[in-house]
Amino acid sequence: MNFEINWALVAPLLVIQAILMIIALFDLTKTEKTNGPKWMWVLIVIFINTLGPILYFIIGKKHS
Amino acid sequence: MELLEVKSLTKSFGKHVAVNDLSFSIEEGRCVALLGANGAGKTTTLEMLASLQKPTNGSISFLSVEKRDYREYIGYLPQYPVFFPWMNAIEYLVLMGELSGLSKSKAVARANELLELLGIADAKKRKIGGYSGGMKQRLGIAQALIHEPKLLMLDEPVSALDPVGRREILELMKLLKETTTILFSTHILHDAEEVCDDVIMIHKGELAVTASLSELRRKHQEDVIIISADENLDAWAGSIENWNIVSKVISTNNKIEIYVKNVAEARNLLLVEITEKKLPITKFTVGQTSLEDLFMEVVGR
Amino acid sequence: MKKWFVLHRKEWLEMTRNYKVIWIPLIFVLFGLMQPITSYYMPEILKNASNLPEGSVIEIPMPTSGEVLAQTLGQFNQMGILVLVLAFMGIVSSERKSGMLKAILVKPVRFSSYITAKWMSAVLLSVGAIFLGMLASWYYTVLLIGDYPFMNIVKGTSLYLIWIMFLLTFTVFLSTFLKSSGFVAAFTLLLSILLTLLTSLFEKYMEWSPAQLTNAAASLFISGKLEGPLMLPLITTVILTALILYLAATRKSSL
Repeated sequence: MNFEINWALVAPLLVIQAILMIIALFDLTKTEKTNGPKWMWVLIVIFINTLGPILYFIIGKKHS
Repeated sequence: MELLEVKSLTKSFGKHVAVNDLSFSIEEGRCVALLGANGAGKTTTLEMLASLQKPTNGSISFLSVEKRDYREYIGYLPQYPVFFPWMNAIEYLVLMGELSGLSKSKAVARANELLELLGIADAKKRKIGGYSGGMKQRLGIAQALIHEPKLLMLDEPVSALDPVGRREILELMKLLKETTTILFSTHILHDAEEVCDDVIMIHKGELAVTASLSELRRKHQEDVIIISADENLDAWAGSIENWNIVSKVISTNNKIEIYVKNVAEARNLLLVEITEKKLPITKFTVGQTSLEDLFMEVVGR
Repeated sequence: MKKWFVLHRKEWLEMTRNYKVIWIPLIFVLFGLMQPITSYYMPEILKNASNLPEGSVIEIPMPTSGEVLAQTLGQFNQMGILVLVLAFMGIVSSERKSGMLKAILVKPVRFSSYITAKWMSAVLLSVGAIFLGMLASWYYTVLLIGDYPFMNIVKGTSLYLIWIMFLLTFTVFLSTFLKSSGFVAAFTLLLSILLTLLTSLFEKYMEWSPAQLTNAAASLFISGKLEGPLMLPLITTVILTALILYLAATRKSSL
C-alpha cells in the first residue's frame, strides 16, 4: 500500500483488539475447562483478530 | 405443635403418578426421615414441600395455615446442590441470606458463623468451582441454614458422600436437630435409625408407614436368640417350636434363629435345654431384629 | 424491592466476573470506530486495489457524516444484534439447566423479581454498549468526515434502542422456557431478520413493525429529520415489549 496511514487514527482499534485478546487469554489461564481443547482456544484467540476472543467468550467458556 | 401438615398430596406427570395421596404431619422439634427406595417419590415430595413443584392435588399447611408462602421459614438442601462456581463461599452465603430477607450485615455475620460451624471457614474466600463434593454438601447445608429456618429439609444429605463425610454430616445433623426441625430423605434405613425420631416410609409414591422410631421398634422389633452348632439340629428346633415363649423358629443349616417373647426367660430355658441334651453348640447370641425386615417388607411388596 | 436489587447486583457481579461488562461495550466501540475509518480510507483502498491505467480518474463521492452514522447503525443491527443475542441467550436457561433457578426460588423470592432483575441487567449493559459505540462512531466521523450535531445521535440512538430492547426482551422470554440456549438465539435472530425483511418488502402493511424504528433512526441520521412511520411502530413495540416481559415474568410453570 502506498498511501499514508494515520497511525494515531488506527491506534484505538489496535488497542481494543489487544485488550480483547488479553482478557480472553487471562480468562483462559484461569478457567479449568473449556469447550474443546484449551490450546485450540489459545490459537483462536491469538490468531483470529477480534472474532477469536468473541468466539471464546460466547462458546469457549463452559457454563456449569 | 404441628409445624407442617400434608393432606392427600398427589403429583402426576402425565400418566405417571409420582406421589399418590400422601398424608402426614411433622411435629415441631422432631427429626423426621422420609424413607423409601430410589424412585419412591422422595424428591418429588420434598420439592413440593419446598414450593418448587406444584402438587397436582392435595394441600400443605404450614403452622396450621394453608396455601401460604412459607419459604422464609424453610431451608432446603437439594440432592445435588449447585452454586455459582464464580462466587466464593462468603459471597454465595451472603447472597442467599439477603434473598432470604436478612440485612447485609446480618447475612455476613451469619455466613461466617455457619462456615465456622461447618468447618469450611478456611476455604471461604476460594471460588466454589474448586470445592470438593463434601465441601459443597456443607456449603449447601450452610445456605439452607442461613436464615435460621423453622424447618430444614435435606434431600439425600449423605448418600453421595464417602464414609468419613457421611459420618460427619450425620453428626452435624444430630447437633442441628437440637435446635431445628429436620425432614430428610434417605434410602438407607441405617442412616434414618441413627438420627431420626420419626419415620415416614413411602413406596411407589404412597405412604407405607408413618410412626415414631420407638413405636416402630416396639411394634416390629423382636428379640431373637441365634444358636449355631456343629451338627444339624433341625429335629430339636422342631421340638421347641411349640413352647409358648417362642413365637417363631427358623432353622437353616446349622443355625437356628429363635424369635422369643421374653428374652430373659427364654435364654435360661434354652441354656438348660442345651446342657441337659448336650447339644454341640458353637455360638449362642442374644439380640434383636433390625427394622431392615420391616423396610424390606415395605419396599419389596 | 430490596431482593430485586440483590438479584440485580448479582447479575452485574456475574457480568463483571465473566468480563461481559468489558467485552460487549468494546465490541460496539470497535464496530463504531471501524465504520468511519473504512469510509475515510475507502477511495484510497479502491484506487490501490484496482489496476486502472495511469491517469484514469475515479470519482467516489465521500459519504456524508449522516450516511456514515447510518451505516454504523446498520452494522450494529447485524453484527451487534448477533453479539447481544449470543451473549444473553442463556440468561435464564443456563441457570435452569444447572439447577440454580431452583436454588434461588426455594428462597422467598418472587419469580418476577428474578426475571426482571436479569432483564434489566441485560438491557442496561446493551444500552450502555450501544451508546458508547455510537459515541465512538460520532467522534471519528466528526474527526474524519465532517461535523455532525450531537443531539441527532442521542435521538436516533434512543429510537434504535427501543428496537434492541424489544429483541432483548424476546431473548429473555424464550430463555425462560426453551431448554437449549442455541434455540433461544436462533429464534430471536430469526424474528429479527424476518421482521426486518418483511418490513422492507411490504412497507405498506408493516408500518406497525418494530423494525421500522431502525429505519426511523437511520433516516434521522441521514436527513436530520424523521421520515416514515414513527408513532405506530413506537407504540406497538412498547406494548409488545411489555407484554412479552409480563409473559416471561409470570411463566413460573417453566421451572
